[in-house]
This record gives sequence, structure tokens and C-alpha cells, in this order.
Amino acid sequence: MSEAAALPPREHRAHGADPHLAHHFSSLERQVDASRLGMWLFLSTEVLLFTGLFTGYAVYRYSFPAAFAASARTSEIWAGTLNTAVLITSSLTVALAIHFVRAGRQRAAVVCLAITLFFALAFLGIKAIEYTAHFHEHQLPGRYYRFESVRLPGAEMYWALYFLMTGLHGLHVLIGMTVLGVIAWRTAHGYYSARYYVGIELAGLYWHLVDLIWIFLYPLLYLI
Amino acid sequence: MTENGEHHSALPYFLVWVALLILTITTYLTGRMHLGTWALPLALTIAVTKSLLVILFFMHLWEQKGANRIVIGTSFVFVALIISLTVADVATRFPLATPAGAPFGSDIPAQFEEPAPEYQPPAGKIGEPPRGVPEPK
Amino acid sequence: MRQSEEDREKLGAPPANESYLTDGTTVMSWLNTRDHKRVGVMFLVAVVFFLFVGGVFALAIRAKLLYPGPFLFDALTYNRLFTLHGVTMIFLFMIPAIPSAFGNFVLPLMIGARDVAFPRLNLASFYVYLAGAVLAVWAMVHGGADTGWTFYTPYSTTTPTTLFPLLLGIFIIGFSSIMTGINFIVSVHTLRAPGIGWMRLPLFVWGIYATSIIQVLATPVLGLTVLLVALERVLHFGIFDPARGGDPVLFQHFFWFYSHPAVYIMVLPGMAVISECVATFSRKNPFGYKAIAFSSLGIAFVGFFTWGHHLFVAGQSVFDNGVFGVLSMFVGIFTAVKVFNWVGTMYRGAISFKTPFAYICGFLFFLVFGGMTGIAVATVALDVHWHDTYFVVAHFHFIMVGATIMAFLAGLHYWFPKMFGRTYHEGWGLVAASLIILGFNATFIPQFLLGNNGMPRRYYQYPEHFQALNVASTAGATLLGFGFLIIFIYLVIALRWGQRCEQNPWRSKGFEWLTPSPPPTHNFDQIPRITQDPHDYRTHAPSGVYSDV
Repeated sequence: MSEAAALPPREHRAHGADPHLAHHFSSLERQVDASRLGMWLFLSTEVLLFTGLFTGYAVYRYSFPAAFAASARTSEIWAGTLNTAVLITSSLTVALAIHFVRAGRQRAAVVCLAITLFFALAFLGIKAIEYTAHFHEHQLPGRYYRFESVRLPGAEMYWALYFLMTGLHGLHVLIGMTVLGVIAWRTAHGYYSARYYVGIELAGLYWHLVDLIWIFLYPLLYLI
Repeated sequence: MTENGEHHSALPYFLVWVALLILTITTYLTGRMHLGTWALPLALTIAVTKSLLVILFFMHLWEQKGANRIVIGTSFVFVALIISLTVADVATRFPLATPAGAPFGSDIPAQFEEPAPEYQPPAGKIGEPPRGVPEPK
Repeated sequence: MRQSEEDREKLGAPPANESYLTDGTTVMSWLNTRDHKRVGVMFLVAVVFFLFVGGVFALAIRAKLLYPGPFLFDALTYNRLFTLHGVTMIFLFMIPAIPSAFGNFVLPLMIGARDVAFPRLNLASFYVYLAGAVLAVWAMVHGGADTGWTFYTPYSTTTPTTLFPLLLGIFIIGFSSIMTGINFIVSVHTLRAPGIGWMRLPLFVWGIYATSIIQVLATPVLGLTVLLVALERVLHFGIFDPARGGDPVLFQHFFWFYSHPAVYIMVLPGMAVISECVATFSRKNPFGYKAIAFSSLGIAFVGFFTWGHHLFVAGQSVFDNGVFGVLSMFVGIFTAVKVFNWVGTMYRGAISFKTPFAYICGFLFFLVFGGMTGIAVATVALDVHWHDTYFVVAHFHFIMVGATIMAFLAGLHYWFPKMFGRTYHEGWGLVAASLIILGFNATFIPQFLLGNNGMPRRYYQYPEHFQALNVASTAGATLLGFGFLIIFIYLVIALRWGQRCEQNPWRSKGFEWLTPSPPPTHNFDQIPRITQDPHDYRTHAPSGVYSDV
């Protein structure tokens, strides 16, 4: 009795309605629009989350320009640049994955998602090499800082921000990888089609955001 | 779902990708030059351009509803707000109230003294007056 | 949508068999619900519980302050109590209360939708809130922090008290806030019934929409801030540590960038409720619908520009003091617009002095005084005298308790028939409202005087000449407590034994009254096509749309 009452009255489900359509949306298009808007709202929360760290960077960079410039010069610039290229390419592959699903080419889409995951892993690998180098050189945050070549006040602050920002970003890369992994599995098992590919789209949006944040981190932490 | 005729080709994605790589190389090269005060604005301009390319084309904001654009646009406005007013605070403070006397004290090399000792709460149990401190009358 | 003939005529008759309350009576059917109404009711139960917890902390504080010297417990416990009072009241009660309890219940009804945009996210937001609350309670049980709810560094990064689980709990509750905000924004954009354009949205929806914008934009900064403090305590990175070149005032910038908009997360939904109630209990179209609607958005945006007024004496630069001082004045304009419009609505209306209207009266009085004292403390020169005194405490309690909690109670009484299909005892409602308004005045007006005379806030001991006013304040707090207790009692009685009511006992033109009280799970048999403005008491509705209106 309670089960039957939980469903909307049968006459109010559209005749032959799409199985993806939730009962409270008037059309699938509306539902997809809603999902996208929800995702953009969530992305703006992520932007605001990193903003705090960017603000801290701005304040301490303003306060310690020499230390920040010197420390940035001693960072692993090759790694940062390579990582930027890696993330940009991974953004391309995830965009291509959506493109292929819309064109009905599921297998190409899965391949693209797999490549994206590979690039994500490469990003983390390069980051790991970088972190190891920093640990060896004692380029560490706060009171753990012992790097001989840059002995300026504020250098510890640079490295604190470096680890916080890249650490938080790396956490988001991990989350993005998990999401993409799930989506890749679902794409391989036919959950998405040219008509309904919202899941991949939302996962792609998240991944692009991860790329976006790195686009700003790269020059600020490595170059200037 | 409506199909966009333009997206039958994957070419736009590759073009954007190439543009992004070119901009990355540009920012790398200009970052290595010593441009002084122009380094930061230039780097940020390139970064903003790259992010616009990603947002508008990879994330398809170019073709999406106004509401989505307003959402992300508003968040960037607030990013600018918090950064500008907070830096303005540090920038306009009485100099001795800034961290380490910055920016005026920032060129003095620091010695690697031992780090300041860990903060030790005064001896004694929490809630009792600390030992060695005279009792209030 | 259309009430059946027999239901309309039988005023005391039992409601239709099916409502969202009877649709599944097992515990699991509640815990696993997708129904926004059930999620709203669960939130209501949770926030009311934490209102009482926070109230107990408050009464403990006031009890101690009866005497100037040590009394009842020691200073450390006192510090913990005011910290936990603040944390409980703000994060566990006020931020979620009106949006997550009433917003969840009423907003989909008001836009003619069957549910919010993301029902499962809605349920998740409740569990996330519970998880954060459990962590916070765990921290309280283990002694809790003594930093004040503002967690200023460097004390918060070095205090030996239990701070980490509290910070983590707040971080997690922030997620719940964000989820609710996203859900409401998307619902308003995509789920409006045919005929409900933006300029036909009920004013409550406008207020909740503006609140959701703040929740989405501000809460992440809080998340980062508490995360940084937690990391500082564990890893000692030195972000706020002057010995490493850090700046403790930077923490205050981060903290207040969220926490000032947070006070608007708390007060805007209250204003939204009041907009609804004023129109209903004056039986008059809102005076200046667009002004009220857009001023909600105005408060939401301008509220972000003012956080530095909490840092006036913290060492912030004179330039920023000036900027924030001026910007803080602007936010008062929007509130003033609203007050003017509410009063304009009541003027020459057909006032129905029911319990919600009593709370409206309290709300208006307290909002005006709280708001004016807010403008006063936003003046740098005056704030130098009043900062960290009881003047500020009284100011924000006027807004938070005097305005927001009055609005919460107004909404609770207004929508009680809608949510539970029963009415409460009106006489006791008015008695409790009087007690609360009287008790509130007695509690907090002495605090303005105390603060102006120089009594600092958060102090365990005070000079003897402040005792009289402190005793008066505690007496008021006791009255206030009794008022809440009475409300709790008669509402619980009404839940079980209250007289069953008709669909629209207030004869309101709000869209949520188009459904039966309590509504069925799917809200509407058919999605309504709206042809009238909400709060439109001039035009007659087609017969049968609203019962007996």
C-alpha cells in the first residue's frame, strides 16, 4: 500500500517517458539543464574554495616579493610546465570523449576517458617526483624549512602555500580520477548514449575545473 | 537532447588545445625573462586567456544558458573582491603591523636560527592558575 | 490541487487518508525518503533539538553571570560554554533552520513542483548535517574548545582544548549548506510550474533564493578557513604564525569573508518568512513586491562587501577601515527598504492578530533596533569604543534572536497546519509570544547598557557595579527560556491531539496553500497552472482553487 502511494499517479507519467526522466521534471531537457546548472554552481564553490589560498598567496607575495621570486626560481619548472601540458591534453581527451559519445562512438569515448585517466596518473607521478625533490632539498613549509640557497624571510611562507595549493589541487585530481573512472566504467557498459550523456558531461566539467585551477597555479608558483 | 551541427567535427577541440599549448609556451618563455613589475600582470593575462578558452569551448559555456554564465562569472567577481580588499589591507597598513615588517624588511637575509620553541601552555593543569603567576587579588 | 467538496465542508473532519506523513510509516521509509517534505521535517526536529542545546548553554552562561566573581564553574568551562553556545546556535541551528526545515518543505509547493531538483542530494544534505553535528557533539562531550566561535588565531592554533573535531564538524556541515543552496537555486530555475514567472515567485522563494546564493559562494571560504586552522594545529605550516612571517589578521579576513555573509544566510530566510506572513495576516498585496524581491538579492550581494567591519580594531589598515565602513552602510539600505515595504503592506490592511502576527510585531521592532545598532557599530569611530563589549553582543542577538528566531517561530506557527494538518492552541501561542518578546527585551536591552558602560564580552568575571544589569539580563533569559518551553509543549501536544484543520486555515493566497494540509507525497494531483500573483488579495481566485477564499 505504501509502495503504491509513493509513486506518482500512473496517469501523470508521460506516455513512453524516457527511463532517465525523474518524476518531478517536466522534460528530459529540463532535467539535463538542471544537472548542468547544479554542476556549474558546484564548480563555483570549488573556485571559491581555492580563492582563500590564492588570497593567502597574494598577501604573502605582496609582503615577501624577494623570497617568493627566489623560491619560485628554485622550483622544478620542468615538472610544472610538463604537468601543465599533461593537464591541458587531458582536458582535450575528456572533451573528445563527450564528443564521441554524442556521435555514438562509445568505444572511442571509453578510449579517450582511459587516456584522460592515464594523463591524470602521469600528473600525479610527476608531482610525486617533485615532492620528493622538495623533501630532499628541505624546501618545506613553515618551521621545517631548511633550504640553504634561499634564506629570505617569507620563503617558508612560499613553500607552505606551495604545498597547500598543490596538495589541495592534487586531492581534487584524485577525486576527479575517481569520478572519471566510474564514468568510464559506465560508458563502457552502455549507460550513456547520444541522447543522454549527462554523467560524462558533468564529470568532464569537474575535470576541466581541475585543469583551470592548475592553469593559474602554474605561473604563480613556478614562473614569477 | 539537441544535436549541435557544429560538433560533428572534433576539429574545434584540437584547435583550442593547440592554442592552449602555445599560450603555455608563451607564459613559460615570458616567465623566464626578467620583466620586473610586468611579469605578474602578463602571466595573469595569459592565464585568464587560457582559462577562458577552456571555459568557453571545452566546457561549452559558449553555447549554454545564461544562468550558467552568470554563476561562474559571479564567482570570479567574488574572487577578485576578496583578493583585492585583503591585499589592500596589507598594502596600506602601518608598516610595522605587516608580517615581518614587509615589504620594507623583506630584503634582509634571515639566519637559520632554531625555530621558535613550540608554544608551551604555562605549567599546571588546565583550569588552574599557571604556576609562577601571582594570584589575582 | 482542487480540494474535494466533502473535505472543504467538513472543517473538523479527518484529512484524506494519504498524506506524506502516512505514506510509509516505518523508520526506514523516513530515513530513506526522497520526499522533500519528510527531509524538511527531519531537519526541523534536528534544528529544534540543537536550539535547545544552545539555549541550555546560554542559560548556563547567564546563570554564572549572576555573580561577578567565580560561581558555578571555572573560567575554562565558561570559555567552553560560550564557544559551544555560539557554534551550536550558529552552525547547528540558525544556518540550517529556516532554509533546510521550512525551505525544504514549502519551496517546492510554492513553485508548483513535485520535489526539489535533486531529491537524493537533499536527503544527503540531511545526513551530512547529522554527521557534522555528531562530530560537534563529540567535541562538546570531550570538553570542547575555548576559543570562541570565531576561532581567532593564534590562540586557536595553539590552544590545548579539543578543537579538531569541532572544526571538522563545521567543515562537514558547510557541505550540507552548499548542497541545500545548490538544490534550491536549481529548483527555482528549472522546476517552476507554468504561469510562475520570476515576477510571480512568492517572496519567500526570493528570500531563499538569495540565501542560497550566499550559501554557495561563501561557505567554501569557511571550509578552507577551518581546514587551514586544523592543518596549522596538526602540521604547523605557519600560515598564520607571525614567527614564520604569517599574519593572524589574515585569518580574520578569511573567517569574516564567510561569517558576515553567514549572518545574512541567517537573517534573509527570516525576512522571507516575514514577507509571507505580513501579506497573509494583513490580507493585503505586498507593498512594493519588486522592492522586497530585489532587496533580498541586494542584501545577498552587498553583504559580501562588508566583512572588514569585524576587523576595525584588529590591525586592519586605515584605508580598508574606511572602505569597509562605507560599504557596510549600504547593506542597511536594503533592510530599510524591506521594513518600509512590510509596514506599507500592513497599513490599511485587514490585520488578523494571530500568533504569527505577534511574532511579526516582535520581529519588526527588534530588526529595526538591531539594524540601527548595527549601523552604529559599523561606524569606525564608535566601534573603537564598542568592539568586544556587550554592546556588540546585544546588537547581534537583537538580529539573530530578536529578528531571526522570531521569524522562525512565525514560520513554525504559520506552516504548522500545512505541515501537520493540525492547529495549535492560539491562546497559548499568544502567551508564549508575549513571554518571548518580554523576555527578550529584558535579556538584551541591559546588555546594550552594559556594553556601552564598558563591560567586555566573553569575560568570566566583571566589576561589581555591573551586577545589577547582569542580573536583569539573566532574569530576562529565564523568561525567554520559559517562553520557548511553553511553545515546545503546546506544539508537541498539538501534533498528537491538536484539532485537525482545513486546507487553508489562514485563508492565505500563497501557492503552498493550493495543496491539502498536510500535502500528499506527490504534492499536486496535477501541476497547477498559475494565473494569479501570490499574495494577491485584490483579485478573486476562481472558485475552488483556494478553499473558502
